Amino acid sequence: MKFKTIHLILLFMGLVLGFILSTQFRLHSEIAASYPPAQERTAALLQELEEDRQSRDELQHEVSVLRNRLDQAAAGPELAKMRTELDQVRQLAGMTNMEGPGVQLTLNDNPNALPQGMDPNNFVLHDEDVLSVLNELKAAGATAIAINEQRVISTTEVRCIGPTILLNKNQRLSPPFVIFALGEPDTLTNAMKMKGGVIDSLLNWGIQVDIKKVEKVKIPAYSGALTYNYAKPK
Amino acid sequence: MTGKTTGYVSIMLVTAILGVMLAVQFRVVNRVQAGVSTDRAKEIVDELNQIDLEKESLHHEISDLNDKLAQVNQGQSEAVKALESELEKVRLSAGLVAATGPGVEVVLDNPEGGKGNGVFIIYAEDLLKVVNELLGSGAEAISINGQRITDTTEIRMAGSFININTKRVMPPFQILAIGDPDALANALELPGGVGDYLRSMGIVITVKKHQELTVPAFVGN
Repeated sequence: MKFKTIHLILLFMGLVLGFILSTQFRLHSEIAASYPPAQERTAALLQELEEDRQSRDELQHEVSVLRNRLDQAAAGPELAKMRTELDQVRQLAGMTNMEGPGVQLTLNDNPNALPQGMDPNNFVLHDEDVLSVLNELKAAGATAIAINEQRVISTTEVRCIGPTILLNKNQRLSPPFVIFALGEPDTLTNAMKMKGGVIDSLLNWGIQVDIKKVEKVKIPAYSGALTYNYAKPK
Repeated sequence: MTGKTTGYVSIMLVTAILGVMLAVQFRVVNRVQAGVSTDRAKEIVDELNQIDLEKESLHHEISDLNDKLAQVNQGQSEAVKALESELEKVRLSAGLVAATGPGVEVVLDNPEGGKGNGVFIIYAEDLLKVVNELLGSGAEAISINGQRITDTTEIRMAGSFININTKRVMPPFQILAIGDPDALANALELPGGVGDYLRSMGIVITVKKHQELTVPAFVGN
């Protein structure tokens, strides 16, 4: 009788094991059938994105070369005057490289673990934070600003996409955000560090902010297209 | 070795195997959930679309610049025309000329009578948000109460007033934006968007589409 019980138990266990094994196997083959295509799609998209970015950069380069050639092509006294004006206006529009004293400001998400029960949303950088930092720099007299090598111009928007931001419609930047601003270093630093100012409120949320004066900041020109489909000069 | 011991050993073995299988199963299930991220694919597609738009604009600009370069070589008067047309475009971007075109007129005002405790009034951040939203939806030129938004324009509280281009502006705030009127209006009136947010703050906001409006040029100090 004793002998029989053990056999029954073993038989039962064997059945359970067999059942689990077959489930496992089925699951594995299902995954094998469904998992790779989804991943392949993402991979394919990523590759397309990479190629697209590259061809965009090439086009941008071509545009800047052509702009330069146009600026250089004109000869003669009347044209020389226009060329000077074009230079000046391009500078105002953010379409030339700039260099001079300024500040370097670095923004990064809160590196520490969240306090329990707190909304993580409050502790990561938002487009509004970047927007207010830019606004404050402009208010303090910055004459040219770039974030992660992207020049801020009159039509520059800042948009959150997940943990990254989208700038100038098609430039995706990820943290840390390094902002260079051209302007009087002391004025800029003081304005940012003012009690109750932008940096204060960001530090409140544990966001990492670091500002330092720089003797020579280099700010790249806006490299995107300048197309007006709706606005006409009056 | 009695039959009993053998039985226990077999049961232990079987249980151990079962444990391992359970663990593997658990891990596999976890991986499946994390694996297919439609969100990521969607983000990539969004970015692709944006880049394609930009590439289209770049192609336009390249052919435009090539035309102008050809024009420059066709004698003095043609060259002047080419440079002038390029200048106009850059002036638009710098905000040095007034701009006309279709767009939207957005008016923001404090609630009537004012709820008074300082929460329900328009802040500089609110205007910044609206401007940012309009720019994100393709606005080509924007002004607030006659102040053109340029690359160095700040919108900032100075005491209890708002300064734009270092000039004091007072409510009601009239924001003019040139661009696709539908796209601009939709961006603001999106459910849960900026318009809804401002209304929930008690701010009175109206959005009107126009076939033609004029955004003034930047006036220096």
